[in-house]
Amino acid sequence: MPTLIQLSDAEIDSLIREPKNTPSNLFPLTKLIERDKHKRRDYGVASLSGNEFVIAVRQSTLDTLNFSAILGYKMPGYNTVFRLRRYNGKHEHTNSIERTKLDDFHIHTATERYQLRGLREDFFAEVTARHWNLDSALRCLLEDCGFDPPPPAAQTLLFGPTTQ
Amino acid sequence: MNIASIKADFRDRVCEQIELQPQGQERFLVKTPFRFEDGDHFIITLKRDADGWILSDEANTIMHLSYWLDTDAIASGNRKQIVDSSLSAFSVENREGELVIPVVGDGFGDALFNFVQALTKVTDISFLSREIVRSTFMEDLTAFLKSKVPPNRIEFDWRDNQKDPTGKYTADFRINHMKRPIFLYGVPGEDKMRDAQISLLTFEKWGLKFQSIVVFEDLLSLNRKPLARFTDVVGKTFSDFEQDNRERLGNLLDEALQEAQL
Repeated sequence: MPTLIQLSDAEIDSLIREPKNTPSNLFPLTKLIERDKHKRRDYGVASLSGNEFVIAVRQSTLDTLNFSAILGYKMPGYNTVFRLRRYNGKHEHTNSIERTKLDDFHIHTATERYQLRGLREDFFAEVTARHWNLDSALRCLLEDCGFDPPPPAAQTLLFGPTTQ
Repeated sequence: MNIASIKADFRDRVCEQIELQPQGQERFLVKTPFRFEDGDHFIITLKRDADGWILSDEANTIMHLSYWLDTDAIASGNRKQIVDSSLSAFSVENREGELVIPVVGDGFGDALFNFVQALTKVTDISFLSREIVRSTFMEDLTAFLKSKVPPNRIEFDWRDNQKDPTGKYTADFRINHMKRPIFLYGVPGEDKMRDAQISLLTFEKWGLKFQSIVVFEDLLSLNRKPLARFTDVVGKTFSDFEQDNRERLGNLLDEALQEAQL
């Protein structure tokens, strides 16, 4: 049985780079809804091409370093969202194809090779030093993924990135 | 038991690759090789609460599932039953989203063993796809319609409150604010097909103006005679809820909603 590839690497890259409008109500991150001991909110994103995207924000109320800022693509006709990028908090992750293990802030990216193995499209992840909390993770997502207007300037850090 | 003994018990009962990382007073991160299907490891902490030691997922598991699932889908229906039975089978409690297992006596290793099994079972519900999705057909249809139709234009389990205050004759979904509202039904089997047929004929008898759409879970599995009778009273039908028909249904709804705005 052929393996289903929903999107190729080229299509994924194109969707990530595609110009998008930044949701006007994204910042400040004060209007998240609390439920099941985590905060959450999904923001619909329009693009000039008519493609539909979503920014999903999640953060544990028990551990603020456990968070996700996700860029998803609403595939036409599908009921689920294809996750193009996911900016995660600090926890362990193992890339099963590359056999690499990391334990830090990291960024997931959708790949064709993980889809080919029947795994989650955004399985692959790499360590990053560019974000250290949910706010900075969201800013990285906007910077990396074609959002306009550009993300708000980073707040001045008095003590540098938070570490745990 | 001291921490070295607890770690030894974890390794003895579960696996060798377990580490304990101190995180404040009487609180440890339990690092294990067990992972979600996206490669992220389970988050497990060992900590003291008022009644003694517990293992907690720090509310991570359900939050993680929300990356893939509408967590409304696990708060009710068949998926909820699967989650509840998975937790109860391993004596795990759901404390408002935080999954917790108390450690009984010195049974640290046993508690971790059960906890990991419960987390694995709970996360398996995100695999619920075509093989099992037959039993979640109505939930999936509902989620699809919620994603397509603005909330102010869709009603669920609609009934005519004036003519039918007890709700004997209902429509699964009523899409409104148009000349002739759409009554939409999901039909997973013959019982539902019969009920929908009676409701539609009753609506006709009452003189209601409406359009009807029926989505079958699998039309080919139904008996031909009752199916023939049913299709006589229904407007548009979809023989299943597979990808092609999802697109067609989505397009049809888009057009109907747009026309109503003109």
